[in-house]
Formats: sequence, C-alpha cells, structure tokens
Amino acid sequence: MERDREESVDLAQISLRPLQLSDVDDLMVWTTDEKVPKFCTWEPYSSKDQGIDFIQNKACEFLWSRAICLHDRAIGFILMTSCSATDQSREKSVELGYVLGSKYWSKGIMTYVVKQVKKVAFREFPHLERLEALVDAENVGSQRVLEKAGFHREGVLRKYLFFKGKSRDMVIFSVLSTDLNHQD
Amino acid sequence: MSNLDLSKISLRPFKLSDVDDFLLWAGDDQVTQNLRWKTCGSREEALAFIRDVCIPHPWRRSICLDDRSIGFVSVYPWSGDDRCKADIGYAVAADYWGQGIATKAVKMAVPQVFNDLSHLVRLQAFTSPENKASQRVLEKAGFLKEGLLRKYTYFKGNIKDSVVFSFLSTDEFPHDDSWK
Repeated sequence: MERDREESVDLAQISLRPLQLSDVDDLMVWTTDEKVPKFCTWEPYSSKDQGIDFIQNKACEFLWSRAICLHDRAIGFILMTSCSATDQSREKSVELGYVLGSKYWSKGIMTYVVKQVKKVAFREFPHLERLEALVDAENVGSQRVLEKAGFHREGVLRKYLFFKGKSRDMVIFSVLSTDLNHQD
Repeated sequence: MSNLDLSKISLRPFKLSDVDDFLLWAGDDQVTQNLRWKTCGSREEALAFIRDVCIPHPWRRSICLDDRSIGFVSVYPWSGDDRCKADIGYAVAADYWGQGIATKAVKMAVPQVFNDLSHLVRLQAFTSPENKASQRVLEKAGFLKEGLLRKYTYFKGNIKDSVVFSFLSTDEFPHDDSWK
C-alpha cells in the first residue's frame, strides 16, 4: 500500500538549515534518484564520495544555501547564486535554484519553502533588486511552484541553455524587491 | 527622407583608417546613449578603441556606406557551456537613422554569424523598453520578442528593464528580398 505517497506533510515540520556532512546519507536519497535531476545540469550520483564532495566543497560556493529539512532530516536543497558571476552588469540580481526528493513532490513543500526564501533573500541582501529563476519549459511542476510562490513569469528564452546533449527552452521568472511590498 | 540605395550598405572588419568616420558616430551621445560604450571624446580615443576593442573583437563589423564606416554590428559569444548563445548589438550614425540601415545590417549579419560561430544556436538581443526604433529593427530582421525582464541590468549607473529578443539557428529569415 502506498501510504507514503498519500501522507500529507505538516508544513510546520519543514525547516531550513545549513547542509552538514552528517546529512550525506539523506542527500544520497535525492541525488541518486533519476527523476530528481531530470531538468538539472548534473547527472544522478553513483557514489557517496560525490555526496561528500558536494557537501564539503560545492555547497559552500553558493552565495547562500540551505538544506530543506523535514523533522530536521534533509529532504532537499535550496540555493542562491549571484548573477554577477557571469555578467558584471547584473550584480543586483540573484538566481534561485532548488531540488527536492521525489517522495516529497506535490505536497506544497517546495512552494512553502520558496515563499520563505523569497523573503529571506531581500532581507539577507538589502541591495538586491531582482530574484530570478530559470526553469526548463518542460518542467511544469517547478513552474507551478514559482507561480504559486508569487514570481512573475516573464517569458520563454528559446534554446537558452545546452546540457545533457540538448538545447533547452527556459522559462524565466522574477520577483522584485518592490513586488514584495504588495504581497503577503 | 532620401531613398538610400541599401545595396550600398556593406559589412566589413574595422580598419585604423576608419578613425575619422568612426569618430563622427562613436563621438555622438545620441548614438551611444543606448550602448554600453562611452562616447569617444577625441581622435586618439577613437583610434585606441578601434585598435584595442573593435579589431580584436570576436565578431564586430563596420556598417559601411560606399565603404565608409557609419556604424557597427557586434556579436559577443558566451563561453564554455554557454557558447550556444551570443549577444548582438548595433548602432548607426544619427544622420542615417530612419532609412532601414540597421535592419539591413542586422539581416546581413545574422547568416554570417551562424556560419562563423560553429556552436551558436541562439542569437539574443536586449533593448531598453523605451527604444522602440531598435525593437522594430529586430522585429523586421526576424527576431522573436520573448519578454520583458524587469530590473534586469545595470546600464550606465541605473538599473533598467530589458526587452529580450532571439533569433535561432533554426529560425527562418524574413521573406522579403531586402535581406540579400
């Protein structure tokens, strides 16, 4: 019986905290699941060394990042990167990225988390003007997360990225510091 | 408005000997106001700019009328995993506005660029929402307007919205003979 899938999650049990080495086994659950990085640039992990390397060496390179936790166990990851890394004219923009274990999809968790992080972003980075996210045009679930979290859908950037051997149309979303004043 | 014979418009790399013609438009605030370029203030500056920026550029062409420089078209490819895309920019001397020159130049440049840059899949352009003339150039040249990116970029000290357009390697050129 698929009891896990029918269980709804008490969103009050969702928290964000820095990713730690002790989270590696939980991290391996979503990084080895083929469904999870389907629209990401990375391939599913095949060894725990990759998980350790991510926690120790990669996670700290992001401008900001947190483990998404349920009962303090990591079930996903959310991050922000500065757009000025690729374009010096874009230092007031930050890009949002996130990933969640597939067992926890469609329960409103990611929307709940993105809503929180949206507010954190503008508080944490007071000069931030624009928070944006790029989602594969085929990734309807993730687009819905951003829409429900109050991001504006600005358009589709055709063949904007190339990864896993394919050109990808990317939907671009944004929320501005000035949008927040008119939202919840 | 005179009927300029657009067959006199050509694209070619910049030469140092273009300096005096170059200064006429690159030294004009009207022309550079929508570019990230600083207006050229002297012949020496113009010479240095041609020598140090225009000539070594990955893909920059002078728009010429009877082989005299009256503007430019530039394409700047991204690097690494992003070399599937490149940014296009252009400008024409103010005296020659309103005659379809920029449109002609962009239409000439697009097939050349896809031929010269082997990994290119997407040519993109960003314009200011107020710059309707430039948006018309792109539309007439067959670019697709994709959306308005709010507070997207810092431009000469101010945060600005950008309208984004693209032309893909798989897109069709507009069906009129002014692209030849």
